[in-house]
Amino acid sequence: MLQGLVASARQLFDDLRRSWLLPAMQEPAHSPASLCPAPLRQLVLTDGVGRTLFEQYADHRAGPRHTEETGWLLLGLREAKQAIALAALPAGLRAEAGVHHVRFNSTAQVVGSRIVRHIDRRLTVLGVVHTHPGSLRHPSEGDRRGDRAWVGQLRGREGVFGIGTADVPRGAEYWAQHPRANVQCLGDLRFSWYSLREGQAAYRPLPVTVTLGPDLAVPLHRAWPTLERHADRIERLARQQAGLQIDVLEDATSPGLMLTLPLAGEGPTLRIKLSGAEVGYFVDHSGELVSVDPGEARVDRGVYLLLAELATAR
Amino acid sequence: MDFRPLNDSERRQLISALRGNVESDRAILMDRRDTSFAGSADEVSDEEVISAIKSVPCHY
Repeated sequence: MLQGLVASARQLFDDLRRSWLLPAMQEPAHSPASLCPAPLRQLVLTDGVGRTLFEQYADHRAGPRHTEETGWLLLGLREAKQAIALAALPAGLRAEAGVHHVRFNSTAQVVGSRIVRHIDRRLTVLGVVHTHPGSLRHPSEGDRRGDRAWVGQLRGREGVFGIGTADVPRGAEYWAQHPRANVQCLGDLRFSWYSLREGQAAYRPLPVTVTLGPDLAVPLHRAWPTLERHADRIERLARQQAGLQIDVLEDATSPGLMLTLPLAGEGPTLRIKLSGAEVGYFVDHSGELVSVDPGEARVDRGVYLLLAELATAR
Repeated sequence: MDFRPLNDSERRQLISALRGNVESDRAILMDRRDTSFAGSADEVSDEEVISAIKSVPCHY
């Protein structure tokens, strides 16, 4: 009887495999994006992400680096026919940028993605938004060359691309306008949305809608300077220590990050508080915090010095 | 029909989608024209996300 059940289950699984994977059989073997959803029909922006884009773009234009381009990485859910943007990670103060280009601080964005994806592991990279200095509301030829090669790595082998410009002559001051399906305007700022799918020669306008929802990266915004300062070393630790947890400290006076590294067995937990250039090390013995000082401002080196000391104390 | 075995990535995706459907009622996406498997709104690996972030090209 058991053999019969196993045979039936195997037959059912084979049937499912045949019916679901028929088109994939005509393609070579592939990356995680091989089982492609249909082309995107729309981008759904949460109001939280929309606010981040308009507010940070306005802040950027009012700041000392207003002549430079800036941008954001969009994380969200890739569904069958729509992408839902749920987090916008900034290009960063340490982005390489000029009047005609921007290259994001990718290490900081990787650490940011680890923090945001701790909330929801389904979040994936949807695409990027960047600004243009004049009124070019469409990705440039240089953008297209880079993006065509890049979108093959994304879910559905398709990316979402937003272009920010400050060229609205008489914009609504208090609420956003939607003059075309792929365009949003607020004040003098405009975001124009496009998609590019692997193998396509050109971007196509992507309709955008707004729904209520958060920008899951908002708690990171105030801690971003701290995150950028320590990003390389945090990322190194995250790769080497699978149990490392990174949290945002929403302290009004000293925003920053808290790294938590549980040790094996019933040993203590290491906690490292990062705020600007300050690095504080603590050993947590079942809730009792003891401050320790390995004399090291480089967080990865400090952690390994403490681990070595704890190992010799056993 | 030209049947072939699933590769590792496809097998992981399909198993993950089936598990998500059974345990969490997550949708399995299906192409309406031919009922082929069209992915699922399920978990994405760190490696996939980090690789995409690290290779974001310069924008002009």
